[in-house]
Amino acid sequence: MSTTHTSWAEPYKIKMVEPLFMTTREQREEALKEAGYNTFLLKSEHVYIDLLTDSGTSAMSDRQWAGMMMGDEAYAGSRNFYHLEAAIQRHYGYKHIIPTHQGRGAENLISRILIKPGDIIPGNMYFTTTKLHQEMAGGTFADIIVDEAHDANSTFPFKGNVDLKKLQALIDQHGAAKIPYVSIATTVNMAGGQPLSLANMKAVRELTQKHGIRIIHDMTRVAENAYMIKLLEEGQGHRSTAEIVLELCSLTDGATMSAKKDALVNIGGFLATNEWDVFEEARNQVVIFEGLHTYGGLAGRDMEAMAIGISESVDEDHIRARVGQVFYLGKKLQAAGIPMVKPIGTHGVFLDAKAFLPHVPQLAFPAQTLAAELYLDAGVRTMERGIVSAGRDKETGDHCYPELELVRLTVPRRAYTQAHMDVIAESVVRVYERRASIKGLRMTYEPKYLRFFQARFETL
Amino acid sequence: MQHKTVIEPFRIKSVEPISVSTEQERTQYLKDAHYNPFLLRSDNVIIDFMTDSGTSAMSARQWAGIMEGDEAYAGSRSWERMEKEVRDLTSMRYILPTHQGRAAERIIYGHLGGKGKVFISNTHFDTTRANIEFSGATAIDIPIAEGKDTALQHPFKGNMDVAALDLLLKEHQGHVGAVILTVTNNSGGGQPVSMANAEGVAAICKRHGVLFLLDCCRIAENSWFIKHREEGMEGVTYREIAQRMFALADGAVMSAKKDALVNMGGFLALKDEALAEACINLLIITEGFATYGGLSGRDMEALAIGLQEIFDPHYLDYRIKSTLFLGMKMHEMGVPLMLPIGGHAVYVDAKKLYPHIPPEQYPGQALVCELYELAGIRTVEIGSVMFGTYNADGSLQPAPMELVRLAIPRRVYTQSHIEYVIETFAEIMKRREYIRGLKIIKEPRFLRHFTAHFEPLS
Repeated sequence: MSTTHTSWAEPYKIKMVEPLFMTTREQREEALKEAGYNTFLLKSEHVYIDLLTDSGTSAMSDRQWAGMMMGDEAYAGSRNFYHLEAAIQRHYGYKHIIPTHQGRGAENLISRILIKPGDIIPGNMYFTTTKLHQEMAGGTFADIIVDEAHDANSTFPFKGNVDLKKLQALIDQHGAAKIPYVSIATTVNMAGGQPLSLANMKAVRELTQKHGIRIIHDMTRVAENAYMIKLLEEGQGHRSTAEIVLELCSLTDGATMSAKKDALVNIGGFLATNEWDVFEEARNQVVIFEGLHTYGGLAGRDMEAMAIGISESVDEDHIRARVGQVFYLGKKLQAAGIPMVKPIGTHGVFLDAKAFLPHVPQLAFPAQTLAAELYLDAGVRTMERGIVSAGRDKETGDHCYPELELVRLTVPRRAYTQAHMDVIAESVVRVYERRASIKGLRMTYEPKYLRFFQARFETL
Repeated sequence: MQHKTVIEPFRIKSVEPISVSTEQERTQYLKDAHYNPFLLRSDNVIIDFMTDSGTSAMSARQWAGIMEGDEAYAGSRSWERMEKEVRDLTSMRYILPTHQGRAAERIIYGHLGGKGKVFISNTHFDTTRANIEFSGATAIDIPIAEGKDTALQHPFKGNMDVAALDLLLKEHQGHVGAVILTVTNNSGGGQPVSMANAEGVAAICKRHGVLFLLDCCRIAENSWFIKHREEGMEGVTYREIAQRMFALADGAVMSAKKDALVNMGGFLALKDEALAEACINLLIITEGFATYGGLSGRDMEALAIGLQEIFDPHYLDYRIKSTLFLGMKMHEMGVPLMLPIGGHAVYVDAKKLYPHIPPEQYPGQALVCELYELAGIRTVEIGSVMFGTYNADGSLQPAPMELVRLAIPRRVYTQSHIEYVIETFAEIMKRREYIRGLKIIKEPRFLRHFTAHFEPLS
């Protein structure tokens, strides 16, 4: 598509469809009650538009499906592994790779290999599974993201940036020897899908190199981040997204990737490293946790789909349509005055439930309530990211009270159309108009761990 | 008329070309792979008998299921189908999907294991042992004595020694993580376990209050042997036999890449709620959410269908009898084998084939290399490379047996492929005296057979 068009029209047409289930309000009321007002517990057949996550929910291309048919399921040395290795080397520039069944498999490996008990791992905001793996290896996560990231209303374009002063302070306090690596995520999911700038990445690289500290890249949405750099960062507009992706990766020493996001597959991930020793250790350990190092817990066909997906993910037309669609939804909601995290993220719109339902106190779970209401209105499934997700304080047993009560509308890649985006926007606006009548929820069942997955609620 | 010929109860719907290489090329490939077939490119392999795990040809119905996969993160339809299918088969309440069997093992043995704990099995498989030892626990094998003699005929050589089990449970009271019965017993030659043996193990575990787990990745094949070899079982269907065995256990781990005819997938099934809750917590952290566990929706769909297909009597008959066909031909030409022939593989006794190669020169690995170089056949050593350990003085503590496994992928190879293999063994027999052993020049700490480097001895 010509770059003179402002349209984000998809650079593809639909080849295979999956029927959706249309439900009545009565049916949704019934289903929601059955699910204990927790969107995680809804059956997917009761969902009309599923915005629970953009992870593993992409529509693959016909080329990827053709690749699926070319799967070489040999236990050792599958040809699909070599295709995947070549795709990663070509598009991301890392030297050695180990496939894993998904991103958390790679996080498990890198945490075990590099972290010693007592270590500190600085990162641009935590992510649930990343942090858990660091803790299981005996390390402690330290947040070094810029303060703007914690402010839903700040319009700073690179809210994923690292605050270099915070990083310097950690190095001064603990010493470089206690910091096995700095974890840099592109983009930052928990901040609302916010990118970091190339200039910031370079500055982090300079600082860490001075102290001999590695950077491990959590690169699940690196193409989306690179595209935002192209759009917003001075002097980067003329470059291709693919080029910027390669440069971002070149500023790091290794990476973990959940390929279920950017790389357009339903399952898969990998660990990449430029260090031979780390690679060798990972190769020895992967066989215990995931599978032999040439399949790492993935079917051959899924490695092939990933190799093709990686090359598609850095295609300029693809990434423009991807982010364009999310922005289309975000701008529509913004125009209607819906409170949300600014700027709009690259993989979803994060509604500000505190501002949306100011009369619902935090202990009546405003974000959980809003997610339930959105489902009820039109069958749109979203995810709570607020007090329910934050869980309880290990010491006091009280809830953690996060500043942000968010509802995440994550847009799967290539799966929904503009008309679907319109339905979502209309539904959110409808719920917003009757917000005053919405009451909160009461928790009736609370599991001990990761309660947001399985907790149950009742209306007040 | 009563036919003797075993035909496949299917025809071929989709094919995958094999790239054929010359012996000269393979000599180079093998050298490049450091004489370890795990390091060969599959493109350079003609017949791949390395494993029957994840290498099955799926059916048209399974492929249709693949196209129908529901990839929703939570509450996927495909998960509902898989959960229902596994529940119907195992009668266990809690089903945890995992990306493959070893993930299920890591979760349950990681939770039950730890320093000072003991696990007892008919024979722990390589990844099972690794997972247990990685947690700091000890793995003890107690196959029946007949299971260690390759030439001896016994209908259920996979059985566990129940008298030894009783003694061990007394000795290690309070420290036993679990008793694991692997059906069929893979490391012991793919030999079946009888229902009576499983009942005996269950009763002893119950008396001692110890958790009894089934490693059920080849339970359909095991059921075939029970139906045809165990008294009183002729009239019971294969599926019912499996269901009876599941009823005896407290839980089961399955690598669905074997009997369930899929390329990826596994599960952990449990009866106890508290144990399941602890395991689900670990599942979410390391594998994925409880309704997908690290599998794509389509793979759960294929698994559910595969679990139905494996109990088809025509399929099972073909499966077991075609393995037997290869085994009997080799036996007739005098190749020393593990007898009787197992369900999924033929095991060659390399110690007897190459009596001049001592265990520390790895006779099994020598045969593996020879098979590849001669014919492009890839197999795996199950002997001192896989299970050998080092004594304090650095000398090798060899494994009890030096086997080479010819594992047969399900529904993949035809009779002419099998005859090519038989022809190769005729040549192997001719030159057996001239074959030399190997030495290990590089190895990792755990599961060394996967990545070790070798050098041939001159």
